[in-house]
Amino acid sequence: MRILVVDDEADLLDAVARGLRREGYAVDTADGGAEAIEKATFIPYDLICLDLTMPGIDGLEVCSTLRADPPGEVPPRILMLTARDTVEDRIRGLDVGADDYLVKPFAFDELSARIRSLLRRDPGRSGAVLEVGDVVLDTARHRASRGERDLDLTAKEFALLRYFMTRPGDVVSQEVLLDHVWDEHADPFTNTVRVTVGTLRRKLSLEGEEPLLETVVGSGYRLVDEPVDR
Amino acid sequence: MNRTGVGLAGRFPDRFGSLRTRLALLYSIVLFALAAVMVGGIYLGLSRALSEQPTSHLARFEQLAQEGSADQASLSVDQQEDRPWLVIFEEEVNRRALERLRAYSFTALAGVFLGSLAVGWYVAGLVLRPISRISAVAREITATDLSRRIELGGSSDELRDLADTFDEMLDRLDEAFEGQRRFVQEASHELRNPLAVLRTNLDVVMADPEAGPEDFRAAGRVSLRAAERMSALVDDLLLYAHHERPDSRREPIDVGAVVGETVEDFAAAASRSGVVLDHDRIDGLEVVGDAVALRRAVANLLSNAIRVSAGGGTVRVSVGRDEEMVWASVIDHGPGIAVGDVDRVFQRFWRGDRASAREAGRSGLGLAIVRQIAEGHGGRSTVRSVEGEGATFTLWLPRYVDS
Repeated sequence: MRILVVDDEADLLDAVARGLRREGYAVDTADGGAEAIEKATFIPYDLICLDLTMPGIDGLEVCSTLRADPPGEVPPRILMLTARDTVEDRIRGLDVGADDYLVKPFAFDELSARIRSLLRRDPGRSGAVLEVGDVVLDTARHRASRGERDLDLTAKEFALLRYFMTRPGDVVSQEVLLDHVWDEHADPFTNTVRVTVGTLRRKLSLEGEEPLLETVVGSGYRLVDEPVDR
Repeated sequence: MNRTGVGLAGRFPDRFGSLRTRLALLYSIVLFALAAVMVGGIYLGLSRALSEQPTSHLARFEQLAQEGSADQASLSVDQQEDRPWLVIFEEEVNRRALERLRAYSFTALAGVFLGSLAVGWYVAGLVLRPISRISAVAREITATDLSRRIELGGSSDELRDLADTFDEMLDRLDEAFEGQRRFVQEASHELRNPLAVLRTNLDVVMADPEAGPEDFRAAGRVSLRAAERMSALVDDLLLYAHHERPDSRREPIDVGAVVGETVEDFAAAASRSGVVLDHDRIDGLEVVGDAVALRRAVANLLSNAIRVSAGGGTVRVSVGRDEEMVWASVIDHGPGIAVGDVDRVFQRFWRGDRASAREAGRSGLGLAIVRQIAEGHGGRSTVRSVEGEGATFTLWLPRYVDS
């Protein structure tokens, strides 16, 4: 899942981005409305955390611009962060197309719960606990297991597995993975995707276990949703 | 009596009861006294006129005079002879007439008393009705809901005037409360931003099991910055709240001296920023007010000017006067103010450059405080600016004329 965090308050921006990265999201940042619109136009974010009050182009304007001309096939979910909390402010925010509204200062756990809930609402992305075959992924507790065995995954591997588990059986290309699981700091010319997929594959299937993550030559990778022989 | 009447009586805890009762009583007593004086006067005058010179004597005297025998002896003899029947009869008639008049007068007075009591009660009720309406509305109004008005209407008399005055006072109170509410709201929004920085940073670093000492140190640094911002904001909020009411101290102040001293205070800060402070001092410009507040206003203007001129600019401070006002100007050659922002610079929490203002721990209240102080002294604050060339902030204060 790739998230854009927008806030003109650098200290807050850094902390939110850091916290979300630790939860396994790919996080980009923007310190103003113009940069946010520019990034969101080129990158199909799954979710945008948007500060309402910013100098110049404010959150409302960013929100209505993105809603008027949605980038990508699935428009990003928008979560407004703001210090203003009157009813009129909330209504205005929701009216221009924000999906949710969180008042500053917030507990980081609440922010991450709301992000999980917003991402669940998308078609093709199901509940807090994902299951494919005997692999279980608990997005709230940040735990993954296969059968009885706990999988000890890094944040990036976890995010990668989550992405595959929301679309089991689909072939996912390296470019799509780079867009949704990696952030803007990833170098598209390195083999980071290949390496991470490799370690995830090894952790998913120990020696003698059914391989789950297949390479589809020339197009990408696929999570096997129905093991060939049970 | 209805409920409001009882309420009114409760408001006048007097042995005469309610205002209405008192008015009715007063009215009927005065009317009764007037009527009594009038009736009594008529009665007394009549009784005196009747007893002074009995008509029968006069009639007999005239008769004797016509007969030519009106000498003293005959008259007195006749008098003696006439007395028993004529005088007694006349006296009896007079006595009865007066008795009848007395009885009628007492009945009429009793009637006047009762009638005036009833009329007085009715008229007092009519006059006091708007007052009970005013007090009913006043009772309904609480400090949190000042939207109710009396709206008495009707002819423009003293009570209408009272009700209108009351409504105008409510308008002013409503406005003041609304302003206060907005201020508290804006202030809490402003405090929420640094609070959010503080909380999120601590939240994230505390929840990270792999966070090392360097991470905690970084979070500590950010928290410290946020705390500094909050305390600067709170200081300015208090200052702003303090200057909300007009300054109570009123003493003659030499504006030239106050400005001169403030410029000296800023000399060190200016040279640190590489700014030349240019100041021409004129003495004898007197205003009345609070010297500490004026110094604060000039200091706020100066620190703004030095900040925007940092790195080799010149800030010019001058004072002067016209017919009615004394002025103090701070002129910088910084970036100036965008045309659309000129009207907003004196508003609370307006910052030309939000991000850098935050880093410098500026609250966005400096110019709002300047305006408050100027207005508290009966003056005003103005700005003239050409974008890219600089800005001139001026404080106008009414001149002090020694009478």
